[in-house]
Amino acid sequence: MRKALTALVRAYQMATSNFAPRCKYYPSCSNYAITAIGRYGLKGLAMAAGRLVRCNPWSQGGVDYVDEHLDCADVKNLLTNSEKEVVGAN
Amino acid sequence: MGFILNPLYNAVSGVIVFIHKLLSPVFGANSGVTWSLSIMGLVVIIRIILIPLFVKQIKSQRALTALQPHMKAIQKKYKDDRQKQSEEMMKLYKEHKTNPLASCFPILAQAPIFFALFTVLNGIAAKTPEGVSAPIARGFLKGEYLDSAAQATFFGAKISQSFLGSTDTTVKIVTVLLIIFMSGTTFTTQRQLMVKGMPKMDSSNNMMLQQQKIMLYLFPVIFAISGVNFPVGVLIYWSTTNLWTWGQQYYVIKRNPTPGSPAYEELQRKRAHKEKADGKAIEGIDQDEATEAEVQGQRQQPKKKKKKK
Repeated sequence: MRKALTALVRAYQMATSNFAPRCKYYPSCSNYAITAIGRYGLKGLAMAAGRLVRCNPWSQGGVDYVDEHLDCADVKNLLTNSEKEVVGAN
Repeated sequence: MGFILNPLYNAVSGVIVFIHKLLSPVFGANSGVTWSLSIMGLVVIIRIILIPLFVKQIKSQRALTALQPHMKAIQKKYKDDRQKQSEEMMKLYKEHKTNPLASCFPILAQAPIFFALFTVLNGIAAKTPEGVSAPIARGFLKGEYLDSAAQATFFGAKISQSFLGSTDTTVKIVTVLLIIFMSGTTFTTQRQLMVKGMPKMDSSNNMMLQQQKIMLYLFPVIFAISGVNFPVGVLIYWSTTNLWTWGQQYYVIKRNPTPGSPAYEELQRKRAHKEKADGKAIEGIDQDEATEAEVQGQRQQPKKKKKKK
């Protein structure tokens, strides 16, 4: 089911890619949905729906990750950098 | 689902019936013109409601010019890290309470209405298994209205019938023409935006431009595939909304284009020309060239102030 849902979102992304990244949030609603569904399944779907509601003209937008502590750039950089260090040490 | 959809049916059919009532004395209660105009009126009302959102969006996009230096700095600082770059960009927008990116709301808001209209019109077209017409009433579209709407025509095609659901040649011709019209308006809207409405592209945007070109030609295909399944009434809705989008964009590009876009330069030239004709040539050019002149204590120029927004 996760795969089917993800495929649906991907299809949406392909169909609307001409409008360029359009979301006022980062990551975009669709990318958010893919991460959330991949990680939480049905609950992720509900989270994605919540994000769509939040993504309205009266909200400010901004950075909004599924899991801040897993997804944000700083964490990812830390991970890749520590890997590099290990490689360097070897 | 009923409790969500019934209000929508009521709203859509209510508006249609209301406009129908208004127009009946002019075109006649059973006239196809009245029913077609009722559907178009629904579009116009929805799009007028959405205009403030559109204006807000444009203003937000324009406010971006002031943030340009900050954005350049961020791009430079995190040029190897796309994710961090996007994060910082979003934080910057939020900090300045502006966001150039539209939320999906205006498009999503139309989807339920579109769906409700589809169902209402399909209800009109409903038939018994034996093929006898048996319209289903939804919302306020019932009784005599329902019977009248079921018979209403748009250029000779019943508004309740679709390309695939009908053997009538007129319906087929009208649906095809409407699909061509829909594709045409979307195509021109998109092209107009690409050619005139956007700031000049740098190389990083080339991929986006490429994608847009593909979509430009893919849209008619999508319309053709989905359009043959929709009743003529829905196609009228769709065509009108596309036409509105085109008009709205045409107006914005003509009268208030994005700074940096070809249309903007054209307008600037036109204005400079006009001012010259009015005998304010020297002043006008001065304003255009020395943007920071105001800071140096030049006298207040109300017109200039407006532009700065």
